[in-house]
Amino acid sequence: MQAYIIRRILGAVFVVFLVGTFSFFAIRVLPGDFATASLGLDAGSASADNIAQRRADLGLDKPIGEQYANWLWDTVRLDLGDSFLTQNTVWYEIGRSLPYSIELGVLIMIVGFSVAIPVGLISAIFQDKALDYSLRGLAILALAAPVFWTAAIASLVVLQWDLFLIDVIGQPHLWEDPGNAITWYLIPMFAGGFAGTATTMRLLRSQMLEVLRQDYVRTARAKGLRESVVITRHALRNALLPVLTVMGVTIATIIGSQVILENMFNIPGIGNKVLTALFARDNPVFQSVVLIIAVFTVLTNLVVDIMYGVIDPRIRLS
Amino acid sequence: MSQIVDPTVVPLRDPTPLERAGSAMVSLGRFMKGKPLGGSGLVVVVVFIAVALLATVIQRHDPDEIFETPNPDYKANPSTLELARNPDIGSPVLVSQFEEPGGGHWFGTDKFGRDIWSQVIHGSRLSLIVGLGASVIAVVGGLIIGMISAYYAGIVDLLIQRIVDMLQAIPFLVLVLVFTQITERSVLNVVLWLGVAGLAITTRLIRSAVLQVRESEFVLAARVVGASDLRIMIRHVLPNCVAVLIIAFSIGIGAYILAEASISFLGAGPQGIPSWGQMVQAGRGSLDLHPWQTVFAGGAIMMIVLGFNLLGDALRDVLDPRLRGA
Repeated sequence: MQAYIIRRILGAVFVVFLVGTFSFFAIRVLPGDFATASLGLDAGSASADNIAQRRADLGLDKPIGEQYANWLWDTVRLDLGDSFLTQNTVWYEIGRSLPYSIELGVLIMIVGFSVAIPVGLISAIFQDKALDYSLRGLAILALAAPVFWTAAIASLVVLQWDLFLIDVIGQPHLWEDPGNAITWYLIPMFAGGFAGTATTMRLLRSQMLEVLRQDYVRTARAKGLRESVVITRHALRNALLPVLTVMGVTIATIIGSQVILENMFNIPGIGNKVLTALFARDNPVFQSVVLIIAVFTVLTNLVVDIMYGVIDPRIRLS
Repeated sequence: MSQIVDPTVVPLRDPTPLERAGSAMVSLGRFMKGKPLGGSGLVVVVVFIAVALLATVIQRHDPDEIFETPNPDYKANPSTLELARNPDIGSPVLVSQFEEPGGGHWFGTDKFGRDIWSQVIHGSRLSLIVGLGASVIAVVGGLIIGMISAYYAGIVDLLIQRIVDMLQAIPFLVLVLVFTQITERSVLNVVLWLGVAGLAITTRLIRSAVLQVRESEFVLAARVVGASDLRIMIRHVLPNCVAVLIIAFSIGIGAYILAEASISFLGAGPQGIPSWGQMVQAGRGSLDLHPWQTVFAGGAIMMIVLGFNLLGDALRDVLDPRLRGA
């Protein structure tokens, strides 16, 4: 078991290293750099000398190998550097934006799972009944609708009927100003949750159908347990495991939709940061944010895998 | 050498093209009947393909044509005061922006007075090219890499798997945004990069299929009689992976269409061609008063993705029941 855990951790560290290397080179392969992107705004003053000067200030004139070695050494020591754009340290930028993203991400997951689990369950119990068909139809629609469109239509509904005001200027946290924060998050969290629901719901439904046919469920029924106990204790527990397995993918999907939702609703989170850093060629911020997202998903996968290994001995042997 | 002919055995022969077409129709009919949802998905997809091919026939207007209406307040040579009150007074015609849907413009007009129906019709082309093209690239690339990875186990396999892990640890949208910025954002480049970004998923899917087939006895038998690796791959493994290839191809299409719509929505999509994602964004500026551009363009994205997803689900159920719900 220990050997298995160590092997998995080493693999995870290697993947994070690959992601970091990828993002380091990706942002440098893109045409233009921060010097041209920022000076391009006031083209009059952007002479070749200015650009060269700016590059030298930012350390972008060094050979790529040296830059890479520096980045690697700094990152290993958890020094992420300073943002080109704001001059603040990258840690400060992340510290400011991460809480917004975690807030929204958790809200999306709460909405997603509190819809997906009962709906998947009901759909499996009433297999091939009208209820099952309509719920599955809804899930297929949710999977097909672009998240930005669902969010736009929801804002349209809110605007049309003056349901509530959305405070996009104050940028409140839930713990600071719950009333304004929740109206601000309401549309993105439901749009994101709705989009994230479909896969989980469909997976849970098919797993439930599989589990409900198993012998141990028949045994549980035969010994006279109530149907509700059979379903929650015996069936749902086992059907939820595969849902947990794809948790890493689920989280990556949610972060992906957060990139768009944060952009639409002016939420200064990680997703918004990665966009602005990418377009402004703010290398330190871009590299670090991609790295942090990757650590997040890889860590989730790692925890899930290890938990799985603990529960199911067959896994750690393969 | 004389052959013994058994009169009860009908000699095997290849079916004629007509018979082939007939049996294809029969299986299509069986598919539509057995999988009504998949059948309706197929209908949606066929309709969109027809719309894309016949866009110039059913467009009603040129998508770039700017419509104008006579200016009711028009006055030749207005005074400075009148111009200050109404800047448009000097022009005989006005751009007929934000017309409501109706007989003249089925879906209304946008901010620049262009016909939304024609724009939506033309947008189908980009979505179809992107969805089908990226999926072809992802499947072909995934097939090559997945086969190499599965067949030459060991360090090569390990490295490819870790790179796949790496690609999956980055949100798909971010990956696509980075890739598409590397080159000029032409349609072809965007299709190519979307396919590359999709390689992780197809590689993983195809690798596990090849691993399974590789263990089967007929591969062992082929190896025993001395077939080369390449021959085993092409003659024995590949034909047994066709079902997985079709599944990998069909379930990705919707995701690529959504990804293209998303980057276009963010203003980083392919340039010089009408795009639904970009239309949804354009309509957001006046969403509260004139929502039609956003509503119709987004609705079109949902319909086409729905069609491909339904079709893909049904194909997967038919071809590989074990993957149901995956």
